[in-house]
Amino acid sequence: MRNLLLSSILLFLLAGCTLGHYGRLKEEATTSSIPKPIFGDNFNSFLFKTNISIYNKDVSGLLVTKQMSAQDYRIIFTTELGMKLFDFEFKDTSFTLHYCVPQFNRPALLKTIQHDIAILLMNNLVGKPANDFTDRNNLFAIKRIQFDNMYNYYFTEKVTNHIVKIEHSKKKVKKVVLSLNDYKDEFPTNVVIKHCDIKLKIELNLLKR
Amino acid sequence: MKRLLLIVLSSLPVVLFAQVPKGFTAVKDTVAFKQKMESQSKLVNTIESDFTQEKYLSVMSEKIISKGHFCFKKINMLRWEYNDPYKYIIAINKDKMFIKDNGKVSKYDINSNKMFKSINEMMMNTVQGNLLSNKDYKAKEYESDKQYLLELAPVQKGAKDFLKVIQLYIDKADYSVVKVKMIEPGDDYTSIDFTNRKNNQPIDDEKFIVK
Repeated sequence: MRNLLLSSILLFLLAGCTLGHYGRLKEEATTSSIPKPIFGDNFNSFLFKTNISIYNKDVSGLLVTKQMSAQDYRIIFTTELGMKLFDFEFKDTSFTLHYCVPQFNRPALLKTIQHDIAILLMNNLVGKPANDFTDRNNLFAIKRIQFDNMYNYYFTEKVTNHIVKIEHSKKKVKKVVLSLNDYKDEFPTNVVIKHCDIKLKIELNLLKR
Repeated sequence: MKRLLLIVLSSLPVVLFAQVPKGFTAVKDTVAFKQKMESQSKLVNTIESDFTQEKYLSVMSEKIISKGHFCFKKINMLRWEYNDPYKYIIAINKDKMFIKDNGKVSKYDINSNKMFKSINEMMMNTVQGNLLSNKDYKAKEYESDKQYLLELAPVQKGAKDFLKVIQLYIDKADYSVVKVKMIEPGDDYTSIDFTNRKNNQPIDDEKFIVK
């Protein structure tokens, strides 16, 4: 019974957290530069059909990203019907909330979404050292970069040279996994951001670039 | 989250401008205009129309353009459907609301929420051009040779947070709404142009149930 209780507690503590596979990665001797930001594309804008699912509640809409200058990105989320829900700006290492509807203005939620988008933008990695790894099957080139007090692991598929996955991890526990899928013209047309410790999933499907 | 959805819906038929466009003057006999609008809307039992929606964001170089089709039937039935560049449907059937997104249908009870009810009323009144009698908006009426322009500013503080003014462009020939604009406090706006409008053609009730 005691073991059962301990197992239950352990299971509860680990619920939603996923142990990473980083112990099986082989660290390369060299360090290298940060990966190229996928949204850093000649100041173009990208339009995504977007769904934010949080604890089984869905909010859908259109997400627009626009690179304003080299290290400056604007991210605007509107409903399908045109109403603006939030307007973020990521400039160098700073963040500005230009607008947010009151119904979306929940600090924990906003902060989490802001954090997720920052990981995807790869905008605040400049000057940070990257540690290189390879996986056991030598399929991916993996860069580990410190992000806040955690690590981001960027998985680049060696055959295509596409970043296909970003894992945001604390020590060996994955917190957020970003999957970048279905590349077309060197850009992922589907991005899924999934949290391991809360029921939050953001899915972006490219409509236009 | 329901409140968010309601607010989202409230933006459906709206577009905004900070100032009255050139070519319009104030309507002198506003009482007669109001009476004519109300009497004309009573003659309309169904509406079917295509629409083109433009979203203007000042920081973006291009507008976001979406296209679709809508149907309206008295009393209190509306289907608002986007076809390009994405599929998305909102349908209201008396006290029920349906949303179909990405193949998934969600159903809501409009009476479960006070704000749901008020937005439902606004949507229905807007497509019929009946907003003049709505106390939630302060109205100004203008006219040109071919159109009336009805400018509606929200009175309540909550609405003012996300909406500066609604403009309805109304065809003088048949008093139909040809364009709606919703301007946000920062002057970004959404505009919706209606084309291929057909009044009083039979529409099956099934159209307002989304499966």
